[in-house]
Amino acid sequence: MGDSDLSRALEQAYFEAADRNETWSGLPCREFYGPEDVAGLDYGTTLADPGAYPYTRGVHANMYRGRLWTRREVCGFGSGRDTNARMRFQVANGVSGLSVIDDNNGSLGIDADHPLGVAAAGIQGVSVSSLADFEALFDGIPIEGVSVAFDISGLDSIAWMALYVALAERRGIDPAALRGTVQNDTLHFQFCGYGDSCPVDLGLKASVDIIEFCTRRMPRWYTGNVNMYDLREQGLDAPQELAFGFGNALEYTERALARGLGVDEFAPRRGFYCSCHIDFFEEIAKLRAARRMWARIMRERFQAADPRSWQFRFGVHTAGVSLTAPQPLNNAIRVAYEALAGVLAGAQSIHCCSYDEPIGLPTETSQQLAIRTQQVLAYETGVTRVADPLGGSYYLEALTEQIEAEATRRLDAISAQGGMAAAIRSGWVQREIDAAIARRQQEIERSEKVVVGVNAFRQPRETETPGGVHRPPSGQGDRLAEAVQRLRASRDAGAVRRALRALRECAGRSEQDNLLPPMVEAARVYATVGEMLGAVRQAHGLAYDPLGVLEAPRDLAA
Amino acid sequence: MSRPLRVLLAKTGLDGHDRGVKVVASVLRDAGMHVVYLGLHRTSAAIARAAAQEGVDVIGLSSLGGTHLVHAREVLEQLRAEGLEDVPVVLGGTVPVEDIPALEAMGVRAVFRPGSSRDEIVATLRLAAEAAQRD
Repeated sequence: MGDSDLSRALEQAYFEAADRNETWSGLPCREFYGPEDVAGLDYGTTLADPGAYPYTRGVHANMYRGRLWTRREVCGFGSGRDTNARMRFQVANGVSGLSVIDDNNGSLGIDADHPLGVAAAGIQGVSVSSLADFEALFDGIPIEGVSVAFDISGLDSIAWMALYVALAERRGIDPAALRGTVQNDTLHFQFCGYGDSCPVDLGLKASVDIIEFCTRRMPRWYTGNVNMYDLREQGLDAPQELAFGFGNALEYTERALARGLGVDEFAPRRGFYCSCHIDFFEEIAKLRAARRMWARIMRERFQAADPRSWQFRFGVHTAGVSLTAPQPLNNAIRVAYEALAGVLAGAQSIHCCSYDEPIGLPTETSQQLAIRTQQVLAYETGVTRVADPLGGSYYLEALTEQIEAEATRRLDAISAQGGMAAAIRSGWVQREIDAAIARRQQEIERSEKVVVGVNAFRQPRETETPGGVHRPPSGQGDRLAEAVQRLRASRDAGAVRRALRALRECAGRSEQDNLLPPMVEAARVYATVGEMLGAVRQAHGLAYDPLGVLEAPRDLAA
Repeated sequence: MSRPLRVLLAKTGLDGHDRGVKVVASVLRDAGMHVVYLGLHRTSAAIARAAAQEGVDVIGLSSLGGTHLVHAREVLEQLRAEGLEDVPVVLGGTVPVEDIPALEAMGVRAVFRPGSSRDEIVATLRLAAEAAQRD
């Protein structure tokens, strides 16, 4: 750069102004906000103190002074033993809750020895084919004491619940003592590439079975986390995240009521899994708006009387989609801001992405930094001292109202179509998502939104990943597949056959017959996830194998 | 160009992330190419079959599940077995930079990582197709 170029570049940079007059979601913003912007707000009915309806300012009066958010980091790769070791590493580094995710085979509901599943076994999550894998996964972990989140959403949700209950019973633990959450958001699986393996109606039935079973027998368990996060990752904006997430939540609520559960029986044990994207104030406003909306929906529309039914309890996952593969260390900065937004919004639980998320699974180094990010927030910054510290900000309150209005408008559009299941079937939801994907791509390509390292402040691409790359050991898939083969050969074949037949019979009876009790029996005798879900799929007139390769084991057919 | 370039896009492996491949499909269509998108969870046999049936000039594989090395090798072997080794294969997705030499060594013509630009993708595919037609 010559002297004149240098001078021009410096001058241009010096006088540069923020040129954005709207949020990332396109909501218009003025230069400043004042008393007239909140003049219409009635404190008692619209805000209220933290811990009071409609919970705009938080679900607890003393917020983090009562309890910090749960510091969880999603974990899962390789075998049950491998993931157990990583969970122990996390605990040694100070996480306060566990969070387990399964591999792509699990998401599809197939076993590690499925001919198309060997390569994927243990790659994107932990490989779980049977109770044997759960025994290794939770080896030495006192499941009667710790809170475990299962980041499991498709038909694998019901299989994992069956395995967990079977594991507890094997250890002599009453399932009523188990604490944790299963994501169990089968609807959102329509948009994660697993729609074919988890059809809308069968998915909803399985979701309600879990809600019903846990309501009756596992009072400390959260029966579902509506996964708004994955929808947002597709490219939706903040109001859409709420509208689509609530659309799904209403569907589960209606169906649980139709099953005969009372709203106050199950609503207190439902949660939400939200994104914290990069537009700082918009995300805080979004989550405050969500609390107000949900409280009013539950109280006014569903006549819930228990205050816990009105509370929008949520975990935050920082936004993977906001991260960049170029200059990956910058992601650590993005994650820190996003996690701060989550805390200022009053999250109950946080997962921080690792900086290498756009590159591969986290290494111990990158995951440790993600944990430390949470700890610096929790222990050093002082943001935990006061509940809803930004409440009353002219701007934030105006933005909270803007997002609520926009999200309500979009939720009404879903309701007008007959609800989320109908909107999914008609293809409307997919069209909305596709439009959002195209819009986001355009914004980045046209530099309407700056993404540091992608369309501004670029550098030559890295020739190596800072901190190295997580690599599965070679032959991992084959070893996992062989282990399942050995299990099939060594278990009590008669007991497995009887248990799977009973499960299939139950699945074929009626919508009201809960699949979990017979599935727990099948899990107990080491029936595999693929066999259990295959039996259920067949009873519902679907192919045994979602990938259409395997035939049902002969002695299970009809 | 006498006719639009014909491109086959497919997701290998079992991961469900298809946002990227859909964006790439629209990028290539905008550039005047004829795009056939096979969808999710495609086997190497299905990809080779479609490549033959559609008479494509380039195959683009999308992988965000960490199994790119395994599946790229499978697809290349399948193409060779069916006499389609002249069809250039490119790959995009969440791929560590460290894996690019191995992918190129096995015969993948280009690897696109997150952050690749529209122009880079379009130009690279055109070059790969033209080079294959000359050979």
